[in-house]
Formats: sequence, C-alpha cells, structure tokens
Amino acid sequence: MEYLVVFLVLVVFLQTRVTDLKRAVICLASQSLIIAVACFALGFSTSTGLHAIMPGLLTLVVKVIFIPGAILRLVGKLKNEREILSESNVNYSTMAAALFLVMGYAIVERLLPGFAGRDIVAASILMIMTGLSLMVLRKRAIIQMAGLITLENGIYLLGLLMTDGLPLVVELGVFLDVLIAVVVLVILTSRMRLSFMTTDTSVMKKLKG
Amino acid sequence: MELLLSSLGIYLVGTLTILWPKRLELAAHYAGMLCAIVASGMVAWSALSYLTNPVSAWLIEWHWGDYYLLGDTWSAAFLLLAGIAGVFISIYALDYGKGYLGERIRALSGLWNLFILSIVAVLISGDAFTFILSWEIMALVSFLLVNHESGKKDTVSAAYQYMVMTHIGTAAILVAFYLVGSHSASFGFADMSHNDLTGMMKNIAFVFAFAGFALKSGLMPLHIWLPNAHPAAPSHVSALMSGVMLKVALYGFGRFAFQFIGMDTFWYGLVVMLVGLISAFLGVLYATMESDMKRILAYSSVENMGIIFAAFGCGMVLMSLQLLPLAIVAFTAALVHAFSHSLMKGLMFMSAGAVMHATGSKNIEKMGGLAKKMPYTAIFTLIGAMALSSLPFTSGLVGEWMVLQSFITFAQQAGTPELRLLVIFAFILLGMTGATALGCFVRLYGVAFLGRARTSIVDKAHEQPAFMLMGMGIAAGLVVFMGICPDPVVNIMQRVIAGPAVPPMGSPFGIIWGGSGQYAIYSPAIILGLVAVTGLFLTVSLSRKGRFVQRDVTWNCGTEPTSRQQYTATGFSKPLRRAFTAILNPKRRTEYLRKEHSYFGRKMEVHLEIPDLFNDKLYKPVVTWMINSSSAFRRVQQGSVSLYIGYTMVAMIVVLIWGVLL
Repeated sequence: MEYLVVFLVLVVFLQTRVTDLKRAVICLASQSLIIAVACFALGFSTSTGLHAIMPGLLTLVVKVIFIPGAILRLVGKLKNEREILSESNVNYSTMAAALFLVMGYAIVERLLPGFAGRDIVAASILMIMTGLSLMVLRKRAIIQMAGLITLENGIYLLGLLMTDGLPLVVELGVFLDVLIAVVVLVILTSRMRLSFMTTDTSVMKKLKG
Repeated sequence: MELLLSSLGIYLVGTLTILWPKRLELAAHYAGMLCAIVASGMVAWSALSYLTNPVSAWLIEWHWGDYYLLGDTWSAAFLLLAGIAGVFISIYALDYGKGYLGERIRALSGLWNLFILSIVAVLISGDAFTFILSWEIMALVSFLLVNHESGKKDTVSAAYQYMVMTHIGTAAILVAFYLVGSHSASFGFADMSHNDLTGMMKNIAFVFAFAGFALKSGLMPLHIWLPNAHPAAPSHVSALMSGVMLKVALYGFGRFAFQFIGMDTFWYGLVVMLVGLISAFLGVLYATMESDMKRILAYSSVENMGIIFAAFGCGMVLMSLQLLPLAIVAFTAALVHAFSHSLMKGLMFMSAGAVMHATGSKNIEKMGGLAKKMPYTAIFTLIGAMALSSLPFTSGLVGEWMVLQSFITFAQQAGTPELRLLVIFAFILLGMTGATALGCFVRLYGVAFLGRARTSIVDKAHEQPAFMLMGMGIAAGLVVFMGICPDPVVNIMQRVIAGPAVPPMGSPFGIIWGGSGQYAIYSPAIILGLVAVTGLFLTVSLSRKGRFVQRDVTWNCGTEPTSRQQYTATGFSKPLRRAFTAILNPKRRTEYLRKEHSYFGRKMEVHLEIPDLFNDKLYKPVVTWMINSSSAFRRVQQGSVSLYIGYTMVAMIVVLIWGVLL
C-alpha cells in the first residue's frame, strides 16, 4: 500500500509539471490505474464477492480506459490548434502541491492521530487540493478536466478508506456522475475548439456581456 | 357551502376567457365579467345568509388531505364585503373594460376572475399552505393587472415596485406563519390556534405578521407602492385592489391577532394603534397635496386603512386590559369602517375611471365644470366624496363615529395618566385626519366638477355608458342606504366579533356612548329630522320676504372673471402646505421664461414637488446602501469560473486549517 502512495504522490507531482496535453492525459490514466489497484487491494481485504471487485473494475473501465480514451481522441483533433502561451506558473503549481502535502500530513496528525492509513489520507488531500489548483491556475480546458478527475479521484480514495467500502448504489452514482460530467466537458471542449480555434478558457471572457 | 364552492367554479370558468379566440374578444369580455358578477353575487349571498341565519357551524368546511377550506364568521364578513364590491365593480367593468378592446382585453377579464377567486380563496383557506398559496396568486395576478398597460414606462416601474414590495410582505408573513406553525401540531389554522409560542419568539412572530399585513394594506411607512400602483392600474382594478385587497390584509392580520398570537400583550395593540393613527394623518395630508385624482384616492386609502387599524389596535389594547365590551365596540368599528370603505373607495375609483374615460386625464388641475357635462357621475362622486369626508347620511360617518366613540371610552377607562395622554394625542390626530379629509375631498370635487372648465379636455367630456353608471349607482345607493339605516350592518358586524350569544348592542337612536350599556350608532333619523325642521324653518322664513333673485357675474374689479382666476387645487392646499412644511418639506422652484421688468412683462414657471417623507428618509438610504454594497460584491464576482473554483478552494483550505487548529 505504501508503494502505491509513493507512486500516487509522484504522479500527482508530475501532473503539476506537465504542459503537453497528451502526457497530461497519460499521467491522469496512470493515476487512475493506481487508484484502481488500491481499490482492488482494499476491496479484497474488507469484503468478498462482487462488491470486492466492483469499485476497482468500475475505476478501471471508466477512469482508466473510457475517460482518458475520450480525452485522447479529443487531443488528437487538436493538432492544428493555434499556438498558445506556455504555462508560466508550473513552478508555482509544484510548490503549492508540496505545501498541500505538508498540510495533508499536518491535518492527519491533528485530526486522526495514530490512524493506520495516514499516508493515504494525506495523499488524497494532496490530490483534492492539486486538482482544485489545476482547475484554477491552468487555462487550457483539457488540463482543467484533468484537474477535475484528480479531485474526483482524491475524494473517492478518501471515501473508500474512511468508510471501508461505500454502498454499491453510491459507487454507481458517483461513477455515473463523473462519466456524464466528462462527456459533457468533452463535447463542450470540442465545440469550443470549433468556435474559438483554441481550448484556452481565457478566451471565454469575451463572451461576458 | 355548495353555493360558495360553485361560485369558485364559476370564477374558474370566467378565467378561461383568456383562451378565447381573438375574434371573439368582446364576447369573451362580456362572458368573463358576467361570470364575475354572478359568482361574486353568490359569494355575497352565501356569506350574508350565513351571517344572518347560520344553519351550520361553518360557512364552508372542506378538506383534501392536510389542506383545508374553512369559513367562520370572520371570513364571512370579508366575503360579504368582497362579494358586494365584486358585483358592482364588475358591472362597471362591463363597459369600462371595453376601452381595452384590442389591448389584451381577454387577459384582462380572465385575470379579473382569477383575482377575485384568489381573494375568496385567501378568505376561506383553513391552513397556512393554502393561505400562502392563495395570497401569492393574489399578489401575482394583481401585479399582472397593474401591469396591464405595459406599454407605458411609469406603469411598468410602478408594477415592479408593487411586485418587490408585496413579496417582501409575503416573506414577512411566511416567517410569521412558520414561527407559529412550528410551535403547533400542524399548519392547519385549527391546530395553529393552540400554539405554544411564548416570549421573544412570539414577539418576533407578531412583528413579522404585522409588518407583512401592514405592507399589503398600505400602512405607513410601507405604503410607497400604493400611490404608484393605483394610478397605473386600470380603474376597475384599482377599485377592487383598494376596496377589497387592502381589507384582505386586515382579514389576515385579524386572523393572526385573534387566533394565533392572542392579545394579552399590551404593546402589540399599542403599536398597531400608533402606526394606524400616523398613517391616517399623514395619508390624508399627502392626499391633500396631490393633484392626480387616483393618487389622491390612493393616499386616502392609506388614511382609511390607518383609521381601521387604529380602531383594531384600540380593540387589542382594550382586550389586554380585560375590557371586553369596549373591545367589541372597537373591533366592530374597524369592521364597519372596512365595509363602508370598500363601498366608498370602490365608488370613488370608479368615478375617477369615468372622469379619465371622459377627459383622458387624471390631473384635476386640467378639469373644472365637469358637473355640467356628466351630471350623474358628478352626483355619484359627490356621494363618494361626502362619504370619504365622513359627512352624515353616508356610510363614512357610521364607522368613523364608532371609532371615535371607542377612543373616547378608552380615554375614560385608561388607568394611568400616560395612557390617557396618549389617547388624547390619538384623539387629536383622528380629529385632524377627519378635518383634513373633508378639505381634501372638497378640493377634489370642487376643482374637478365645479367652477369653469380649465382646459379644452373638459369640452369633449360626455356622460358615461349605462353599465358604468349602473355600477357607480349601486355603490352610491349602498353608501347612502348604509348612511341612513346603519343598524343592520352594524349588528351583523357586531355578531361577527362577539358571536351570536351577545344581543345587538347598537342603539340606532343614541348619539353618544358613555362606555356602558348600548353603544350609539350615530342616529341618522334624529339628524335627518333636525335637518328637515331647520330646512323647513329657513324656507318658510325666507319665502315670506318675497323672492329676490338677481343673476349676474361675480364682481371682479370691473373685469370679466376667467377660468384662470379660479381657485386651483394647488392653491387650495397652500395653507396646509404652509402649516405642515416641516413634514411635507415642499420643494419649490421658480423659473423665469421672460423677465423684461421686475413688475411686468414677466413669464414664469413654478415647479412644486412634494417628496414623500418615507421615500426620502427611509427607502432611498436603504437603496443607496444596497447599491453600494453590491458594487463591493461585484469586485468579488468577476464572471470567471476559475476564480469561483478558487474561492471554493480557499474556503476548503480555511475550513481544514480551522479544523486542525481547533
């Protein structure tokens, strides 16, 4: 489990530094893969049968295969996109992520002293915060989408750990939610590409009355 | 009960005129108004028969799940008022509404039915949910009716002001209902009357209820929508709004005061009484300053609602002092005056509509001499104006005399000198209100109907079509009838308040009441006899000298008097304006168009403006503060989604850190 956390933190840090869209999506997919593995590990240790493999399987299908696949298809279409300014605040993002990690551990120490899964909690707080910061600081729609999925993964991981497996209905609901959100986002992003010839969300300010 | 339920059905059928095809517009209008007349007649009839000869405990008792329709005597009194006003105003509207042919007349008559339906529904709802729902429908439909002439900019802004104000009122009422309902078994009125609300929460509930209902009935300082909404609305709509809708607020407040809150606390009644008195006096003062006919009437509604609430508050105070018989008189006075006000204010708004119809203007400064052009309208308006100035032989005096009597007895019974001083102050205010009201309506009638024509708009004026005259005639007839024999109405209203067990205590021959035994309804028979005797004496003594008649022009320093030398409405109210400069704060601005010499060859324009006291001192600062604080919020709200997510993130971090530190 600890190895998984190490990998997770590594991937999240990598995510804050990646500016290339394709690599960002691959990072996202591998992050989701780690979550899926964690799901399987937790699932087999706490329950048996369908419920044990269901969350992991869902994660694998939805977040590792379907969503990154859809985004990758979109990225493939973005080849002739107008050149946009390179992200200048990558270093700030990484620094913020480091701070978030420290904060996560501080929170766990204070709120849940002596908790066995403290690393996982800290990592999920890191993911939630980093996801948010990606959505706030980055301008390109694809990266913002990646931020959303990261946030979602963090919340999911935390929920999984805290409740020892969510009820199946809740899990299905969560996945459906994410799926629909991402489908809508992908559609909107491709519309945006058609209308503005770019996926830089800062151009959307022009739409303001 | 069946009659009342089927009248609701007829109103609903009348509402369907909205859906009629465009080429049957006129037919739709007639059908809609006929539905309204028939249904209102049925409402009035069922309420009257229940009040005079109750065969069952409830006027209507019907429920569907937790939703109740219940009608007791308090509802029936207001149903009677709404039904009668609905009949004669709808008759008037048969002809008046034709002026809107081609201007969404179908919507006008359909919404008219829905409006009366919602009023009736408010009056018979038996639980908080039904009440609020009907109340809200009433507010929305009256908003649409006020906004009917939506092509005019003033109308739209008045309608939206009304909408905003009335929703603030609804919000206050909701809070009050919630507070009472959450302390009782259910939100049905029967359960809510056994609530266990005490202390601070009860005070809060009272304050919210009073604020909400006072807003709807146009008490100061919550009246500002009223003088704007009434001129904007079509005349029959203003007649119904002023005549009935304002009383529905009294109904709601009465239901709250009698059933839910109780009257044990002394200051509740005191607050109601003081707010009522101040509204009464300031309302009539502003009415005297206006020159727009409908604004005069609107401010006069503020005055009369003030008088009604003052009497009601007086009754509440007397109840808290355990003086039950005196309180009954005060409540009866409030109810009688509410009833007579619905007649006379309906009549006056109808005649304002007739004048507008004839001349195309609402400004009385442009009129004059209308009595010659439209004699019937002039007579009906005279009756209405006499009633609103509470002169004898009209219904206006009946209620007002009872109000005065209950204040007199209150002064006699008041235990402490402070209270007695307060009642004397109240008495002075009521007296000034009555005197100013007399001046106000002498001014209105004199300037518009007597004298000579001021502008050419009077020349094309003509008498009104039959149904309009009929509507006004019925109202005027009722006003005079109630003025000459008031005791049936007073007895019915007393029965509403005191129940059938107490025998009618009103004495039709008494002039003044000492505070015990039968109270006096002003005795029209005695006064009528006195007037007849004096008239006879004068005629006999004058006719003995021989007839001396000389018709000539008034001497005017050798020049012919012209219409420009008449007393204007603004000139008429000048003494009052001077006397109450401190309150009215008139803004006068003179502008010289031409000034050849300081004594002649001058041509100038005088602009006179009377700002509304509360508008300037209360509403404008609040609005300014709100706009300023919103611009501070604008700085935070930039319209960028990333920024908003950033706010969420910061909030999360703060919460987490806060959780850690605690």
